[in-house]
Amino acid sequence: MKFLFVFIILSFSLSILAAEISIKVSGMVCSMCAQGIQKKFAPETSIRELRVDMDEKLVRIRTYEGKDLSDGTIKKLIQEAGYHVASIERK
Amino acid sequence: MIIMNRCLLLLFIVLNSALTWAHPVIYQGGWALSSSNMPEFSNNYVMYSYSRRLAAGLEHWRFSKDRANNELGLIKLNQLLWRHNGPDSQANLYLHSGVGVEDREFGAEKRTVLSGLAGADIDWETRTLFAAAKYYQFQNSFVAQGRIGFSPRKASFKELQTWLMLQGMVIGDVQDRLTLTPLVRFFYHNVLWELGSSTRGEWLLNLMVHY
Repeated sequence: MKFLFVFIILSFSLSILAAEISIKVSGMVCSMCAQGIQKKFAPETSIRELRVDMDEKLVRIRTYEGKDLSDGTIKKLIQEAGYHVASIERK
Repeated sequence: MIIMNRCLLLLFIVLNSALTWAHPVIYQGGWALSSSNMPEFSNNYVMYSYSRRLAAGLEHWRFSKDRANNELGLIKLNQLLWRHNGPDSQANLYLHSGVGVEDREFGAEKRTVLSGLAGADIDWETRTLFAAAKYYQFQNSFVAQGRIGFSPRKASFKELQTWLMLQGMVIGDVQDRLTLTPLVRFFYHNVLWELGSSTRGEWLLNLMVHY
């Protein structure tokens, strides 16, 4: 019972440590070209989920528990994909 | 099923071959494979983007007139000279250059000569509007092309995107008059294909893959 309690607390704590990052991207108007964003972020092992929202011009990233992605890395990868980062928000 | 899909894709690439209009330089580390065909010309290339501003690769052109073919094989360099990433739009200016050899056919005689290409293209697009113009100068000819288009629906990232476009093209020494071609463009994930027919009934088939 104690182990279960510790496990639940630990899981909860780690899930809080997972980062949810919303990146506003300028110039993202073509979904085929935006495939490059997925390609550029694919090697990043800290990323659990990446979604591209063409309507909001957002790239939403969820990292694994305890992992993060720096603003510098995000800006570099978005630029290499051919776009410009307008803003980065973290939850 | 996966093998069958890949075979079908390969078959489509081989069978297809007007000038696909997409970015000549894509994301860093990306490959672009393109095949464009109309009866009087074809253009095929494979390009690798070393950076978001520079791509290099191999390109083949065929021009046909009066049953004679001119073919060019080039080493090509594409450069993104300027890009504007706006909140709801993107605009680009690219430069093209290439050197290679040209096979010119004069009846039964065929000559191989050194050749080159220089060009520029400019485009502007939103999620529903598209406008572009390009010009290629060859040693003895040129290709001038313009396009306008609109998309009736804003597709999401993973949906099929459809565009309706009108292309105008002049190929010096081959088609000295303007060829107008209404066409439909589709793209899905990293694959783009276009189907059209000119006002004179000439077919158009284009395919492009980014990977």
